[in-house]
Amino acid sequence: MVVVMAEEEEKTLSIEPEFPRSRVKKIMTLDEDVKRVSSEALFLVSRSTELFLHLLAEKSAQVAIEKKRKTVKLEHIRIAVKRHRPISDFLLDSLPMPSETVKSDKPVQDADRPKSVPDGTRRIDHIFRKSEAQAQVEAQEPEPEPMEES
Amino acid sequence: MVDNIGGSSSNDNGDFVIKEQDRLLPIANVGRIMKHILPQNAKISKESKETMQECVSEFISFVTSEASEKCRKERRKTVNGDDICWALATLGFDDYAEPMRRYLHRYRELEVDKINSNNQEIRGGNGPHA
Repeated sequence: MVVVMAEEEEKTLSIEPEFPRSRVKKIMTLDEDVKRVSSEALFLVSRSTELFLHLLAEKSAQVAIEKKRKTVKLEHIRIAVKRHRPISDFLLDSLPMPSETVKSDKPVQDADRPKSVPDGTRRIDHIFRKSEAQAQVEAQEPEPEPMEES
Repeated sequence: MVDNIGGSSSNDNGDFVIKEQDRLLPIANVGRIMKHILPQNAKISKESKETMQECVSEFISFVTSEASEKCRKERRKTVNGDDICWALATLGFDDYAEPMRRYLHRYRELEVDKINSNNQEIRGGNGPHA
């Protein structure tokens, strides 16, 4: 699927990525150990990030469809992440268990990573915790679990 | 609560002073790409877009980190395209490594074309082989 996408893109291959170069570069250089980045590298990171986003969006949409929902929600993304091994390897540990709200205090694993990203790795956990609380508040669809507002 | 996920530094980490907007790709870009992929009638919740923002930043960080580690071990200062391809393969995104190599190849071709046409202009239209 990824290969097909890339092939289609290759036919009309421009070197104009979808994401702003400066922002991609900024994110890359958040890591103190990253000193210099060639423009090729920047280009490829940008492109592969697009593919990654395609993949995750598609998988998430599939989950939403399975659950007969028209709106792709947080839990659909979570399930999609779980199902896909390379992605779950670097994202799943950051996600709280589906029925938990603010439980997970564990910072993003350093032990499993050969090289951990800087302080901000907590952010996935952070966004899921906060977003989950928000999502429960804003949820239009009936949820079996009781809604808690902190 | 407010719409944005904390534009200031008041997070769990007191010294995490990087603005959220700076370490995330623009939500408009993320949302647009998602819309292209999803079926016509599908909607995306706001927190989904925000979550995707986080996920893609994580992806960038992990790939870059792997590539950078390789450079460090090999005592190189600049992360290049091949390092990124290697990192993708290492992290299990083998499927990406191959298309990326093709992109890289194409990118290099296009860059060379650009340089060549710039050279032509400088020399007033007479190429080096004229």
